[in-house]
Amino acid sequence: MTTKLREVDVVIVGLGWTGGILAKELAESGLKVVALERGAPRTSENDYSLPNIRDELRYVVRHDLMQNTARDTLTVRNNPTQEALPMRRLGSFLPGEVVGGSGVHWSGHTWRWTDMEFKIRSNYEERYGKKFIPDDMTIQDWGITYAELEPYYEKFEYTAAVSGKAGNINGKIQAGGNPFEAPRAREYPLPPLTPILASEMFSDAARNAGYHPFPRPSANASQPYTNPDGSKFGGCQYCGYCQRFGCEANAKGSPHMTVIPIVMRNSNFELRTHSWVTRVVKDNDGKRVTGVTYTNVLNGEEFEQPATMVLLCAYAINNVHLMLLSGIGTPYDPVAQKGVIGKNYCYQTGAGATLFFEGKYFNPFMSAGGSNATIDDFNINWEFDRGPHNFVGAYNVNGGFNTALPIGYRPVPSGTPQWGSEWKRATAKWYQTAMTIGASGSVMSNRYNCYDLDPTYRNAFGQPLMRMTFDYKANEHRMGTHAAQVINDIAKSMNPTKLNPAVARTNPWTVVPYQSTHNTGGTIMGTNPGDSALNKYLQSWDCHNLFVVGANVFPHNASYNPTGPVGALAYWTADAIKNRYVKNPGPLVAA
Amino acid sequence: MRNSFRAAAGLGLMLSMTAAAQAGGDAARGEARFQDCAACHKLEAGSNDVGPSLHGIFERKAGTLADFRYSPAMKRSGISWTPETLDKFITEPQAMVPANRMPYAGMANPDDRADLIAYLQKTSK
Repeated sequence: MTTKLREVDVVIVGLGWTGGILAKELAESGLKVVALERGAPRTSENDYSLPNIRDELRYVVRHDLMQNTARDTLTVRNNPTQEALPMRRLGSFLPGEVVGGSGVHWSGHTWRWTDMEFKIRSNYEERYGKKFIPDDMTIQDWGITYAELEPYYEKFEYTAAVSGKAGNINGKIQAGGNPFEAPRAREYPLPPLTPILASEMFSDAARNAGYHPFPRPSANASQPYTNPDGSKFGGCQYCGYCQRFGCEANAKGSPHMTVIPIVMRNSNFELRTHSWVTRVVKDNDGKRVTGVTYTNVLNGEEFEQPATMVLLCAYAINNVHLMLLSGIGTPYDPVAQKGVIGKNYCYQTGAGATLFFEGKYFNPFMSAGGSNATIDDFNINWEFDRGPHNFVGAYNVNGGFNTALPIGYRPVPSGTPQWGSEWKRATAKWYQTAMTIGASGSVMSNRYNCYDLDPTYRNAFGQPLMRMTFDYKANEHRMGTHAAQVINDIAKSMNPTKLNPAVARTNPWTVVPYQSTHNTGGTIMGTNPGDSALNKYLQSWDCHNLFVVGANVFPHNASYNPTGPVGALAYWTADAIKNRYVKNPGPLVAA
Repeated sequence: MRNSFRAAAGLGLMLSMTAAAQAGGDAARGEARFQDCAACHKLEAGSNDVGPSLHGIFERKAGTLADFRYSPAMKRSGISWTPETLDKFITEPQAMVPANRMPYAGMANPDDRADLIAYLQKTSK
């Protein structure tokens, strides 16, 4: 039996960065907001303070802050000829499942995606001609510009305590920053983190090779900080437990210690945890949504929460799943290339080298989430000519450490046995002497990389699992090969004692080892309902009182981490709702 | 009354003994230094956060608030918090109380510490 609750103005599904930002902004504007979070309430003081944190078994092996795959997971396959099988244990990516979402366990890397992404098809067609883009590559312009998002990037960076060095302020190139970045109106809120030896060595080598290294911007407060909302940050202690952990020093910008505690004090807001949303309810005419149904996962009780407005702010994959389960919009068909929901699923690729220097002590146990240096010479540098290399997209290269775990981080030279006394000797010998240089690469959308509902497997609520069909294509293989070459050239110039060289990912993608939690697309934004699910304000083309927020709106995936534009777009959407939609409910863009 | 008498006596002691470190302590400047602490410590009574409330810190022994989970190291330390012991502690917390759980590397500058302690003396009562 489903209990129907009293209607509220806004129901938000998922309380991480996007849900937290929208909840705070909309509750402060006077709207009555209810947030439904599938996970448990967690706070820094009760859960992430010592000795509850720094537990590799609990957080890394047992995924304490992540989605419970016994309740819901997805099935995966590389192409439509295969039978998809359920991912029974988290691997390649780690969706969060607590108050604060993945914003609790992220590393904090915060980038500004530029018009190189937002106008991708126009850019490549203009420079290289239409034929340069393969027929099956379904990239398209986003319908938004960097100039529109700039103030919202800044708002997110100042909220999340991003430490970094500007490379371009109002068109003026700044020494020490990223010279390729798009112009920003002002400096980062905090100076960069203290570089570690590995990132300094990488920076020197990159500079000698003619590249332009700069400190990676990260929401790890380099010094104590109070953000514009009054949230207080401690200074990062370089404890080494960043990615996959909550921050014990309140130094990592996270929704659970910024926007969420603020909205929790607002009488317009209510949070219900352990609430698993099963469906968005459509109005009879299908033009509006009327609320959501959810199950209390502690006792199985079912509820319907009516609302004037529904905001999907769950993890990117779960947002798309809810759209498919609720029958909103036309599901994407990769054969006919019709429909939009599930279209343009993208991931990221990469390559990495490990360098061993006998006699060096890198102290890998000491690092921050963002204690790396990066080069963007092959990324947002449009001067880099992709023509001779025949690929669309980009990669950034970085050197340093991020969460080198005391148990899990075991660098040994290639050829070392994987267990036994020889391995033990090697891991003791090389642990202190290793550093990495890695590339993070974009993945262009492809007609066959997509989501739909699985025909066989169901979740704990009896609903079809999400099915993911994904593989890297020749474009990504070519880019990975180029990246591996650049990495290996830099690595060799540093004269390491031993080198495990970078190798491009050309084997089929597999869901088993962890790679990156940067899943994008599925309900993409765009300029018209024919090829996108949402308009530029992340408003559903089908139901105007439904907004879908998160990396699921990206029409393709860049080399950068997604949280910068995810946070910026949440503030952008909040403004569109507060300033325009509430005054005149209806489509914000004419279809 | 007794507390204010003690504070006055303590001030005299400081001027003679650790003048360089603490006599110049400026509570107004110390408010800015408290930024280092404020993400985890509150000054209101009973308001524990990631760290214990600092209300009344100079009137208690280390590790004794009943409703805060201290490290065994802090509970065993036997420290009575005074401007002098707090100065020593925040210089390098792990040196004075090894294995305590405060994730803070320390405040190296003695003038900064003096300002912070002056601020805490004023606001923790």
